[in-house]
Amino acid sequence: MKERKELESKKKIQAVCDIYHNEESVVMTLEMPGVTKDSLDIKVDKNKLIIYGKRTNHPVNGDYLIREILDSDFYQEFTIDDTIDVENINAKIDNGIVTVTLGIKETAKARTIEIQTR
Amino acid sequence: MAITKWKNKNTFDPWADFDALQSEINKLFNYDRSQRQTGLFDRNFTPAVDVVENDNECTITFEMTGMNKDDIELSVVSNVLTIKGVKKSNTENKNGRYYRKESWEGNFQRSLSLPQGLDNEKISAQLENGFLSIYIPKKEESKNKQITIEVK
Repeated sequence: MKERKELESKKKIQAVCDIYHNEESVVMTLEMPGVTKDSLDIKVDKNKLIIYGKRTNHPVNGDYLIREILDSDFYQEFTIDDTIDVENINAKIDNGIVTVTLGIKETAKARTIEIQTR
Repeated sequence: MAITKWKNKNTFDPWADFDALQSEINKLFNYDRSQRQTGLFDRNFTPAVDVVENDNECTITFEMTGMNKDDIELSVVSNVLTIKGVKKSNTENKNGRYYRKESWEGNFQRSLSLPQGLDNEKISAQLENGFLSIYIPKKEESKNKQITIEVK
């Protein structure tokens, strides 16, 4: 019961986030220390991209002399528009950094138009 | 004050701007420019740290998101632990354009004075999931020991 209460009262914060785009895709990198592959949950709900990372800090036995590391989960929602190819979203996590690559639809990409001379 | 003069907000008050200026200047004097929880050699950005002590050891955890083993340099000189490092950019290729950038990159350095009675020879460190954990055991003689004294 005590454990359950702790889970419910855990705060949710927004992770430090970089969003960056090139011709092929939109790349998001989020800093989520303490989040592993199993505790990370990324889903797309209609036009929303929801990123939820449960943080597991190291177990503490002893007294804190300094405490600066937050003990809160990461939760963020992003709206994505119709230029994003929902079927083509990849995510990876490495050393606390989550990289989400959102593919841009073929129709929304820049095209070069050949010019014909007559 | 029990009764204050009724003031119509719609009437023009020539002193209103001066009141605003006065409060701005008061704010300026109250503004605390010193940074919290940083030392002399710390940069603007330092990784967050937890220090936990128990009877057997002292555990220091740094939040090192996205950093490799080679980027971090640890040293202990006479009870002061110093961590130096470089935080590199999270994104590798720079061909695109940023919509938003919240992360920082650059060098950092931080010094912590350790509690007394730690065995500096037996430090072990581990980097996992974006956390760097440093374990320092306590010296045998500084551990709390229970001594039973027989009463004759």
